[in-house]
Amino acid sequence: MTVLEARGVSKAFGQVAALRSADLRLEAGQVHGLLGENGAGKSTLVGILTGLQAPDSGVVAVGGQPVARLTPGSARALGIACIHQQPALVPDLSVAENLALRLDPPRALGRVRRDRWRSRALDLLERAGGGVDPDTEAGALPLPLRQRVEIACALGSGARVLLMDEPTASLARPDQERLLALVRSLRASEVAILYISHRLEEVAALADRVTVLRDGATVATLPAGPGRSGPHDVAGWVRLMIDRDPPAGHAAPATAADRGDGIVDPRPPLALGLRAIGCRAVGIQDVSMDLPAGRITGLAGLVGSGRTGLARILAGLDPADAGTLEMDGRKVHARTPAEAIALGIACLPEDRRRHGVICGMSVAANLALASPGRVFPGGWLRAQAERDLAGHWIRALSIRTPGPAAEVGTLSGGNQQKVALGRWLATSPRVLVLDEPTQGVDVGAKAEIHRIIRDLAGSGMAILLISSDLPELLSLSDHLHVFRAGRCVAGFPGGSPADVVMAAALGVEAAVARPPGEDAP
Amino acid sequence: MRRPGIPAPSRETLLAALLIVEGAVFSVTGHGFASLDNVLGLARLACEGGLLALALAPVVLAGGIDLSLGSLLGLSSVVLGLLWRDAGWPWPWAAAGAVACGALGGLVNAVAVARLRANPLIVTLGTLSLFRGLAEALTRGVDTVTGFPAAFLSLGQGALAGGVPVQAPLLAAALAGSWLLVHRHRCGREWRAIGFSAEGALHAGVPVGRRRLQAHLLAGVAAGVAAVVQVSRVGQAKADAGTGMELLAVTAVVLGGTHLSGGQGSIAGTFLGFAVLAVLRNGLQLSDQPAELAGILTGVVLLGVLVLGARRGGQRG
Repeated sequence: MTVLEARGVSKAFGQVAALRSADLRLEAGQVHGLLGENGAGKSTLVGILTGLQAPDSGVVAVGGQPVARLTPGSARALGIACIHQQPALVPDLSVAENLALRLDPPRALGRVRRDRWRSRALDLLERAGGGVDPDTEAGALPLPLRQRVEIACALGSGARVLLMDEPTASLARPDQERLLALVRSLRASEVAILYISHRLEEVAALADRVTVLRDGATVATLPAGPGRSGPHDVAGWVRLMIDRDPPAGHAAPATAADRGDGIVDPRPPLALGLRAIGCRAVGIQDVSMDLPAGRITGLAGLVGSGRTGLARILAGLDPADAGTLEMDGRKVHARTPAEAIALGIACLPEDRRRHGVICGMSVAANLALASPGRVFPGGWLRAQAERDLAGHWIRALSIRTPGPAAEVGTLSGGNQQKVALGRWLATSPRVLVLDEPTQGVDVGAKAEIHRIIRDLAGSGMAILLISSDLPELLSLSDHLHVFRAGRCVAGFPGGSPADVVMAAALGVEAAVARPPGEDAP
Repeated sequence: MRRPGIPAPSRETLLAALLIVEGAVFSVTGHGFASLDNVLGLARLACEGGLLALALAPVVLAGGIDLSLGSLLGLSSVVLGLLWRDAGWPWPWAAAGAVACGALGGLVNAVAVARLRANPLIVTLGTLSLFRGLAEALTRGVDTVTGFPAAFLSLGQGALAGGVPVQAPLLAAALAGSWLLVHRHRCGREWRAIGFSAEGALHAGVPVGRRRLQAHLLAGVAAGVAAVVQVSRVGQAKADAGTGMELLAVTAVVLGGTHLSGGQGSIAGTFLGFAVLAVLRNGLQLSDQPAELAGILTGVVLLGVLVLGARRGGQRG
């Protein structure tokens, strides 16, 4: 029996389509796995099914009846519950009070019957796996137990549909297994479960059916279950999740050395070497890699795998507390952003509007901000130097702006990104770290940024490219490192098959038969 | 909601117009308002407040606030008086001691805000009490130091050629200095960047902590200098000197168009904002109006200008 269905659901954020006519059908008493790369549209779909976001088009039906305008409140009333990665409990209230607050919101002048709630909470927590004292403050509980309170909440609300977004991502082994057992017992009690996880073995062991999303569209819905083989196994899913054929315009990677004069230099000089770098603040351990001049080094990995953490280390924002950085055979330090800039390391941050540009300031001021020595020699403004610098980068990067005095916040996303990039290029870096340089920019600007990245490598800059867009990463990189859980787990030559790289990022050993390069330990 | 065709006046233009209106009204109602003597006297009386407002502007531009400047002025005054009378220091040394006291007080704020990353509103609310309390403790609340030598008093009461008070060139220098610093120096650009987005500035390599520290330190030094000016003008050093002046400075800065969230604002705006307030007080006094009216009209002017500013989308993010 179908309890919850999304039919032809589409949703766009600005110019970026998050979902394109996606379909999903959840049956009572079944676990339904939802798979897809970062940005495939999984979270948006969950948002629509829980009423947090309204679809641009398409229908959400509950129990076969289309629901015109789903809100978080009406979704809860219809028996749809969601377990988020980060449980949202009121930290200062006790567990029992949190449950009472969710399941029986206080009315004006209403009385809270503490004793009755305490025993009800005890009962629900026991069904959710136990081990939680209803009188402890919710904020004092470790994450797995907070998650259990969320599940108790879902049980108490009599949910017929349970959406679980990466429920085991932050759990240790024994907790994971307890959670999986709980999911099975919920299935036995005729609850429909949507299970989102990057841990494909887990999905394979648990799911009755699996839907794969790619670029916001439903690629396939397949029967699943333990012991099945053929296209339903994990390797097949991985192939469906990623685009096997690189899209048109993505040429095979060309290295700097064989670009131009045609002479291939097999060993380009090293611009920056990372030797067993670690940093507790960003959860990075024992990362070693070479960033050769004139080459694009790619960094693949799931969101939260530590890629941005490495960028923060190199930017001097979170200095490494273990290992060394090497430049020209010397040990160097990047303890502050200013030190990193002085070394010739530039980092284009991931969050453009918060970190990449200062929206309230002019294009010229933004471009000049990381090069004070050129625009403020001796501390005092040289207006001509600022005009020259701004004019140069506006032309060189074809930044579309009414003028150098225009506020950056008024430009389009792609042009803001070019301003952010221009700021770093103005520092004449030797090493350029690009964290998601094309995220949220339109197709035209994306192609332009790709061309700029290739040109920069051609001019001898060492580039570290971090991207969740695997085809982009594969087509641009000369060499590729894969991050998982704060470690560098694999390295591949450029142009490696996408499924091999994806398998390494997911930590699936069985997916591929031929692992080239150094494989996962 | 900007109407097409008519460019909205800037905050500076608005304040300049307001200043002209004030001048016109008080020239009629005020006894001797339009005289040269009064204009020169105004510079003498307004100097301390002007110094504080001009020094507060960079702090606010960088997204901070300093509520302790009035108290710090009081503490520095008491330090000046006691160093001269009780410690027997010659007056130039005692004056330098007052400036050093201001710098030290500014450093306390600076370290708490920039190094310990405490909220500047809470920190300076604390030092607002702390500095005033120290000043009262040093004088036991009643002790007033008087009888300063004539050479010292001539700093605040004397006049240069043509009857120009000593305060006039000092205020002009402070205006020029702060304008250069905010609009023509790297510090000003980076204060602004921090005010718009501290995280964004940090990512761009701006030394955020050091810039915040410098802004608070500078404000402290200004409070110390203002203390010397005030003691030499009124001829006495007492613990309640500068009471309420921190709010006058904040009002001038906000009236001048500087956003309390940081980033936007100008020195010209701050100075005009301060001038509007100072002329209002002076004009009402000469028009034989009660002192309470000054407070009421200050509030009306501030709210009126803010409403006008909001209409032209003045409080942009």
